[in-house]
Amino acid sequence: MSRSSHHNVSTTAADSKAHSSSQKFLGNFLQTITDVFSDKGVLLLLMIAPIIYGFFYPWPYSTEVVNHVPVGIIDNDNSNLSRTIVRYASASPQLDTRHFLNEQETKEAMWSDEIAGYMIIPSGLEQQVLSGKAAYVSVLGNGGYFLLNKNVQMGFLTAVSTVSAGIEVKKEVAQGAYLATAAANTQAVPLEITPLYNQTEGYGAYVVPAVSILILQQTLLIATAMLIGTLYEQRRHTTSVRGWLGRIAALSMFSFTVGCFYYGWAFELHHYPRGQNMLGSLLFLLLFCPTVATLGCVLGLWFRQRERSMQILIFSSLPMFFVSGYPWPANQLPEFLQVIRWLIPTTPAINTSVQLNQMGASVSQVATGFYALAALWVCYFVLLMLIRWHNSVKQDNALL
Amino acid sequence: MRLTKLSGAFVRSAAYERRFLAKNPWDFTMVVWIPLATVLLIWWIFSHTQVTDLPIGVIDQDSGPIAHTAVRYLEASPTLTVKQRYYSEAEAESAILQRDIYAIVVIPHNFSRNILSGKPAPLILQVNAQYGTHSGIIQTSVQTIAGTLSAGVEIQRLIKQGMAPSQAAIAYSPIKIQRISLFNAATDYQQFLASTVIPALLHILAMVIGATTMGRELRDRKLGHWYRFINTSPPNLTLWTHRKTRSILATDHPKNRQEGCKKDKIPSKSIATEQIDVLVLLFGLLGKYFWPILAYSGWAMLALWFATPQESIAIRSVTVTYIGLILLLTLSFWLGAIFTLSSFSLRMGLSSTAFMSAPSYAFAGVTFPYIAISDSAQRWSNALPLTHYLKLHIAQLQMQAPFAVSLPIVYGLTIATSIALFLTALLTKRALLHPERWGAR
Repeated sequence: MSRSSHHNVSTTAADSKAHSSSQKFLGNFLQTITDVFSDKGVLLLLMIAPIIYGFFYPWPYSTEVVNHVPVGIIDNDNSNLSRTIVRYASASPQLDTRHFLNEQETKEAMWSDEIAGYMIIPSGLEQQVLSGKAAYVSVLGNGGYFLLNKNVQMGFLTAVSTVSAGIEVKKEVAQGAYLATAAANTQAVPLEITPLYNQTEGYGAYVVPAVSILILQQTLLIATAMLIGTLYEQRRHTTSVRGWLGRIAALSMFSFTVGCFYYGWAFELHHYPRGQNMLGSLLFLLLFCPTVATLGCVLGLWFRQRERSMQILIFSSLPMFFVSGYPWPANQLPEFLQVIRWLIPTTPAINTSVQLNQMGASVSQVATGFYALAALWVCYFVLLMLIRWHNSVKQDNALL
Repeated sequence: MRLTKLSGAFVRSAAYERRFLAKNPWDFTMVVWIPLATVLLIWWIFSHTQVTDLPIGVIDQDSGPIAHTAVRYLEASPTLTVKQRYYSEAEAESAILQRDIYAIVVIPHNFSRNILSGKPAPLILQVNAQYGTHSGIIQTSVQTIAGTLSAGVEIQRLIKQGMAPSQAAIAYSPIKIQRISLFNAATDYQQFLASTVIPALLHILAMVIGATTMGRELRDRKLGHWYRFINTSPPNLTLWTHRKTRSILATDHPKNRQEGCKKDKIPSKSIATEQIDVLVLLFGLLGKYFWPILAYSGWAMLALWFATPQESIAIRSVTVTYIGLILLLTLSFWLGAIFTLSSFSLRMGLSSTAFMSAPSYAFAGVTFPYIAISDSAQRWSNALPLTHYLKLHIAQLQMQAPFAVSLPIVYGLTIATSIALFLTALLTKRALLHPERWGAR
């Protein structure tokens, strides 16, 4: 939209001065900043989109913890014991119970997403318990939704275990044990779980800090490739080695600012754990942003068209996230993918950022991540220089 | 006459597009190679359907026989692997920070002695909860092991007190729980994640194609050329009646606002209003998107073929899911086109496409359940076609719901697709009337 036409007439005598400044680091640095601000498309992607995403992406997770899952109960026993179980289940904060008469009804309710699971109390339960026979209740969760299933299973498990332990305690007390020792005995090896770092175990607190790095990468990558693609269309893309470094520095600066906005404000706003090792996090951004910007330059020269980077890269976020090792354990990936995933900056970056900013690792503890990012940066830059050299050879040949 | 004209528009438009795709490898890649690679890649990512061997550490401060049993249980668990023993908390914490391990199980001093003297002897699990998937799986596994240990210890104690072993097991836990996961009982991640992520990615790709197919005509100022190409037969008298119905159908459309000013300044390159026939556009659009729709019908089939495991799923369920997926993808093409045509810019169309489609999986309620999504976000979630399709997908392919349960979603997608197609045609007409806005970047 705002592509200026005066660049097309820049092969005149007055160009020699502009030419020398266009080869310098600072000249390119400043020119790139001007280009970004005069190009609405690039500015939207580079600055505005990641800031909007900072609010938009955490939106569905604002409740953080899954509670009050609607479930069904079929009570075929209708005894004091079964009513106690029902009472305990409905008191559970994890569950929101409803009564059903038979399994057909519960299944239909599950198909229409009214409930996420149900418990069946068989008839004769109380009778069996009183006569000391093995007794069962069944809990049926929906394996199609993992997180809901876990809630249904745990909610019912806690309710039934509590009732079951009560019976056990009563029997022991009846057999002459003291109530205190009997109660303590119900679980010989209890498990004390200490969740580290994400202590509330919130879903947003788990997923958003990692996705933020992905968003940072994708917006910087697409914006850079768009800018370089546009420069290519205008035949303004060629510059010296220092000139490229100037461009990379300028583009990185924008994303570095957004990164600071995430670390300093967006995470804080959503009450995510953050800032455990702030200096390390900033150091990470200083390496991560230029790496991504350099890759963006390479892609821009490859795509050679303004809109191409969006067309090709929009879909890539999800696959990149899944191979990063964060949402899905990396050792579960096929071996070939375990290797080639290292070609993408987010693979070291997501883990490094989370380790530094959420967990508080020291820089030496995430050294591998830093080395990997540095190696990627060198690779991308060498690639960029090769393309530059290739283009200039082609140009010389064309001139001859 | 009329019909041959419309079918002519369809055929010519499809031929136009075929020539374009043959000459532009990037656009061809978006239709053929990228979706194919995506479907295969996602399926491949989750080819280990169960999570195994998550590395954990152990600090055994007790070293008694029961502690050894506990470690043996941990080692035997298929989901865990005890990577290393640690002798200090600091050492173990450092290993967690370096992600060598995702949890430490601490067996405290006096563990065995507490058990023997009948006191509770807790195991301590410190788990890296920042890694939610890892942490959830580790917690479940260690919890199971603690339960097994408890039962063993308790039953042993009751037997020592003189109870018969069979009786002891009942006395330990009077009410047992049968835990059943209906549907996807094996907690197969390929079924859970891969089968739902693939439609989400095809949806994104289809929207991108939808945006670029119209957007590049606008950008390259070729929209008029395309229309003249598909609408070759000379105007005839029947057009007059059609024009009337058209203006009735589209009374509240923004183009009518420009109706007045457009008449006196029709640029030479533009097409006179009289010639623009929405029905021709409709068929032209269908022709223009014929190849992507055809290709994506194939990818949809591949996706569902992967998502339908060995266990018998009724052919009717697969059919209704397939129809749903094709409707979702066709709707995505039109939505992409609508975003581009309403902004007159390929770039803006793609930006809006990215904004809507890229995070739509997070809002769809598969990984984070729909009922837990905040009310305001639920409204956005309901507005996304992917949410509804995935509901149908899971109900039919995993929950084996009767196909009638999902019919309302199919009807909804059909209506949405038809409206979107019609809207695309109207917006294309508006775009044809404003050649001065073509060429935006």
